Amino acid sequence: MNWLIGILQGINDSALADNIRGTVWVFPTIETVHIVAIVLVFGSITRLDLRLLGLVWRNRPVTEVAGEMLPFTWVAFVIAAIFGLLLWSSKPLSYFGIAFFDVKMILIVFAGTNMLYFQLITFKNVAQWDRDPVPPRAARLAGGLSLAIWLGVVFCARFIGFVQDAQ
Amino acid sequence: MLEGFTAWLEQSDLTSTFSDTTRMATWLIIPTSQSIHLVCVAVVMISVAIINLRLLGIAGNRQSFAQLTSHLMPWVWTALIILAITGAIQTIAEPGRELLNIGFRSKMVMIAITVAIMMVYESTIKRDPRYWDHPAKRRRYGRILAAVSLVLWLGIVVAGRLIAYVDTRPEI
Repeated sequence: MNWLIGILQGINDSALADNIRGTVWVFPTIETVHIVAIVLVFGSITRLDLRLLGLVWRNRPVTEVAGEMLPFTWVAFVIAAIFGLLLWSSKPLSYFGIAFFDVKMILIVFAGTNMLYFQLITFKNVAQWDRDPVPPRAARLAGGLSLAIWLGVVFCARFIGFVQDAQ
Repeated sequence: MLEGFTAWLEQSDLTSTFSDTTRMATWLIIPTSQSIHLVCVAVVMISVAIINLRLLGIAGNRQSFAQLTSHLMPWVWTALIILAITGAIQTIAEPGRELLNIGFRSKMVMIAITVAIMMVYESTIKRDPRYWDHPAKRRRYGRILAAVSLVLWLGIVVAGRLIAYVDTRPEI
């Protein structure tokens, strides 16, 4: 693992990291933008998940809810990812060995995979169930998985700071 | 203001239980409470974003303002109750960090204003679902209200995050 720590140390010593750490308000500002973004990612994607589970907006077509929510999800996710990367790069060594951080990253990959599978396969015949109050099992499964994964992401994210502090 | 109450709360058994990080069971209380808090913030934020953007005519135009509001507001109220409970737990754990904090205090003021605006939305559409559609002057007022509301909601999240950074407790 020495090579990895070397890379992390290099990022830690970079001018960018130095700048983020250097001024009092930069880190909190980046963190605030990251949180506003993740709040919108979670809020919007779970609305669609709940529709796929047949729990909300049962009288609205799934495509309509998706069209309303997914723009929020995508824009906010890109912002959350960029600002998250900035936060991480300012002190990469402090996330090394934090299990909650590793699990959070793995869960985000799971969420992406789940979404990709849903978009490319399950969503293909959406015309057949678009107006169903309760969508078919594959769609419900995608919604339920997404909901559980994103809940996991939020919990892991919040626990990272507490475990860091304890070290 | 509130110094006396804060000092009294800090001496209470509840505070020492919630802030005891030596045992796993009590250590878990605060991060868990904060995680639930964050999930509820997400529920509120996406709902008020859609409601206010709808009033501004920017998003959610497939449904009427009244339809969106009456669907989303029960979610907002439920989430706000859970936010108040988890927020109270976090405040009891560290009374001075919250009650004497300028970030916390501005957050509470902004919440009071945004909640009042939400109540205005609910009571007006109950009277007339198309209340904000006409006349033109009222529609303009609605847009101003929505813009103010959006800015305040953003301010609430910002102030909430700043609590951790602007510790305004007097030096001991």
